[in-house]
Amino acid sequence: MNPANQPPRNRTSGPPRWAKRLLRWLHPANTLEEVEGDLDELYAYWYERAGEPQASLRYLLNVLSVMPPFVRRRQQVNPYPQPSSFHPDMIRSYVKIALRNLWRSKGYAAVNVVGLSVAFCICLFLFLVAYRQLTFDSFHKDGDRIFQTYLFANDPERVSRTGGMPLPLTPALKAEFPEVETAARVMSGRLSLVEYRGKFFDKMVVQTDPDFLTLFSFPLIKGSPDVALRDLSSIVVSETMAKTVFGNEDPVGKYLLIGTESNKKQYIVSGIIADSPDNSSVRYDALVRIETTPNYQNDKENWHANSHRTFIKIVPEADQAAVEARLKPFAQKYFAGTIQDLLKKGAKPDDRGDVFAIRLQKLANVHFDRDVSDGKGAPIALIYVLIGIGVFILSIASINFINMSIARSFTRAKEVGVRKSLGALKNQLFVQIWSESTFICFIGFVVGIILTCLLLGTFNTTFQAKFTLSYAFQPGFIAWMAGVFLVVTLVAGGYPAWQMARFNAVEVLKGKVSLKKPGLVRNALIVTQFAMSSLLACCTIIAIQQVDHMRRQPVGFDKEQVISLPVGNQANGRQVLGRLRNKLANDPTVLAVTGTSINLGKGKDRVTSRSTFGFTYKGKQIATDWLLVDYDYLKTLNMKLLAGRDFDPAYAADSINRVVVTESLAKLINARQPVGAFIRDDSDTTGTKSEIIGVVPDFKLYSVADEARPIAMHLSNREDIHYIFVRVAPQSLAQSMDKIKQIWREVAPQAEFLGSFLDENVDGWYQNEESMSQIFSLAASIAMLLSCLGLFAIALLVIEQRTKEIGIRKVMGASVASIIIVLSRDFVKLVMIALAIAIPLAWFGMQKWLDNYAERITISIWIFLAVGLVSILVALATVSFHSVKAALMNPVKSLRSE
Amino acid sequence: MRRTYLGEFEEIVLLMVAILDGQAYGVTVSQEIEQHTGRLVTFGTVHNTLIRLEEKGFVKSELGGATAERGGRRKRLFRVTALGSRALQDIQQLRNELWQLVPPNTLKLSGL
Repeated sequence: MNPANQPPRNRTSGPPRWAKRLLRWLHPANTLEEVEGDLDELYAYWYERAGEPQASLRYLLNVLSVMPPFVRRRQQVNPYPQPSSFHPDMIRSYVKIALRNLWRSKGYAAVNVVGLSVAFCICLFLFLVAYRQLTFDSFHKDGDRIFQTYLFANDPERVSRTGGMPLPLTPALKAEFPEVETAARVMSGRLSLVEYRGKFFDKMVVQTDPDFLTLFSFPLIKGSPDVALRDLSSIVVSETMAKTVFGNEDPVGKYLLIGTESNKKQYIVSGIIADSPDNSSVRYDALVRIETTPNYQNDKENWHANSHRTFIKIVPEADQAAVEARLKPFAQKYFAGTIQDLLKKGAKPDDRGDVFAIRLQKLANVHFDRDVSDGKGAPIALIYVLIGIGVFILSIASINFINMSIARSFTRAKEVGVRKSLGALKNQLFVQIWSESTFICFIGFVVGIILTCLLLGTFNTTFQAKFTLSYAFQPGFIAWMAGVFLVVTLVAGGYPAWQMARFNAVEVLKGKVSLKKPGLVRNALIVTQFAMSSLLACCTIIAIQQVDHMRRQPVGFDKEQVISLPVGNQANGRQVLGRLRNKLANDPTVLAVTGTSINLGKGKDRVTSRSTFGFTYKGKQIATDWLLVDYDYLKTLNMKLLAGRDFDPAYAADSINRVVVTESLAKLINARQPVGAFIRDDSDTTGTKSEIIGVVPDFKLYSVADEARPIAMHLSNREDIHYIFVRVAPQSLAQSMDKIKQIWREVAPQAEFLGSFLDENVDGWYQNEESMSQIFSLAASIAMLLSCLGLFAIALLVIEQRTKEIGIRKVMGASVASIIIVLSRDFVKLVMIALAIAIPLAWFGMQKWLDNYAERITISIWIFLAVGLVSILVALATVSFHSVKAALMNPVKSLRSE
Repeated sequence: MRRTYLGEFEEIVLLMVAILDGQAYGVTVSQEIEQHTGRLVTFGTVHNTLIRLEEKGFVKSELGGATAERGGRRKRLFRVTALGSRALQDIQQLRNELWQLVPPNTLKLSGL
């Protein structure tokens, strides 16, 4: 190279800049200094020898040779020993600092522990309820292949889904569907009277098919599933029943009598089955063959008498949709009449193209499907609401924890700074601070569990639950709660710890980090808290109003001053009623006595049953409740007749084929003059018909949510009376109850006295809503309390940090009132934002909930205004506790500190 | 006898470090190699080999004082350790022994 051709370049300009930058960027940091120096020196050497371009080229080449992936990394050798963070000395230091910190901030720690333990306690309860519900029927092997069949009818009046099946359906299914592996009819209703050597017991004897034992996974303790129910006279008893009936004897081979006088039948015990678990949709004390039911012979070919539930297990290769598709022609074949009637009524196919269909419900969902499970299940939405409430409360407590930890972290910033400058790593700091918070969480958790144990009794009585501690010790539930705990510690402890571990040591030690500006995160969290608690408050008020509204709904009969007496199976209802009538005939405090087959409301025996009658009347399908009553039913319940007359012993025919009907049924029959009209089935050729002799207004028979329901009341002697109603004079309710209890021992010595007041029974109809509004109010008040607890602590911290500002304001002439306003303004703003979020949500959610009820309140704007006002006032009151104190402080004190 | 595993290039670098006696660092080593063997090697190769030799314990290194000529950047100076010199001697000895075993005429013939 000729140097003369090259412009003289400054030697110090050195190698190409970009190559150098590349080197700095990509070369390992620990060898960068020496390599950069070496390359510079080499460049100078090449430059001397070969000139600039050659030097640059070689430089570039060599830079590339020390880049990843070619370069070898020098292993870092630390000249100082790095003690593990779990070194005993470090742990001692951590514990000491943690205890000092806790001691210095007892107040905050207490607020945190109280908040967390209350939240954990509530969560434990709510999750326990939810867990129980969600694990319903989950214990069956191959549960995903078990389904319950239900009938779907797209009736133009009301789309109906019902789990009641006709007897011939199951045999037909098994015969025509190879994909049905096993199928069992399950008929359960009233308790049956079981007799063994002169002792009587009321037991739930379920009539079913032998397949029951293989379809479900209830283990047989004695006997074999293949033969246990082979004979029509076999009975399989549950473990508990075996103990109560037979004591220590071996039950297998023993004889039991089941049924009342006329249709008593003898059975031989052929096996013992485990008790049905608490969370099973299918409950039983004993199993017998379905062929033993009294009406079996009459109804076994009748496709219109729905009496039982059917469960099927399909083969693993089949799937639900395919089976349902194959069920379409099946339904058309056997339910042609029903489909014709529906079409005549103007029924249209639904979105799956069916007017009428047999469909399958997964066993896991049966419990949550109230139509299919005869209203025994729990609505799944309620379960999610419970979990949601639990999560809300837990997050409110966690937010308190986070807010307080962050607010207090600045007082600990110096410690972090010093630790960092002494060589603490970010991870070590994180673990240290995080484990301190975990410790507090853990205390809260333990206190929460203790609280739960103490309150379990109260909880059970309030919500009619039967939880025991052992229930909470299931592995699944423990895992669930451990997960909740882990998430809480990770979120509530982890976030502040991460924040603190990130502090820049230099800035902290210079005193540059401070809490002059309230963090966006903190405000967002406060808003979330208040939004959640006001949401719950709005929902609570609306739920309570709705329950009240439902209570005020007329039930159609006079429920006051009536005593309801379940007779049970051990006594003959008609005999007891007769004796009771005689005894009470001359009692001036007893106004009327009657009998019936169905209790109104939920009585102490907690039994409900239902008897319906479907018939075709002049070409129209009508379904009505078929209610057995006795003379004086209307008088006892104070029902007014709209037309016609009540049953009267003077007319002999009344007890054979005459009925009193409700207004709805009278309307359905569409007779101009219902009294005197005959109810009969068009297809019935035997000439059985019932004459209507009276019409009463509609009344509620099974639930307050019932809409106008067609009911026919009759006096058939063939059916048994199960309940006796006694109307007593208004003055002497409690006395009458005592008196009837006395008389009961004489008239029905073998039956337990389970008398209760009818109005209390009717209250049982609101039990679900009542429980829900109770849970809501409890949750809302705790949420509000926790939020305020958090706000209280935050306000204290913020005001502490603003003491000097307040002092200066006072010196400059601010009044106490204006200082309070300045201090409270920020918090009130946050609460208002929270309200703006919560109110629309509450409105929307509760509208959806109210849509479930026929009789519903309209949501008034005043509820939201009231909740808003109260939230703001409560927040103000909480804050003012500190702000007033701060505003009244002598400025000399706050300003003198420097 | 304990075997010492040294690649050909490693051996050369190690020898250069020994030759330079306390003045060995990336630049000098590569320059010496270039001058004595005529091989053009990239700096990365030398750098990597030095690190590898240090990992094997044949050389030790320390950072030297800052000098103005390289913009105040320190050099990493390498020295042969006892293990390193032992390894060189072993190799030398092995070679000598092998040379002794070569019949005197073979090499002369093939050299022609």
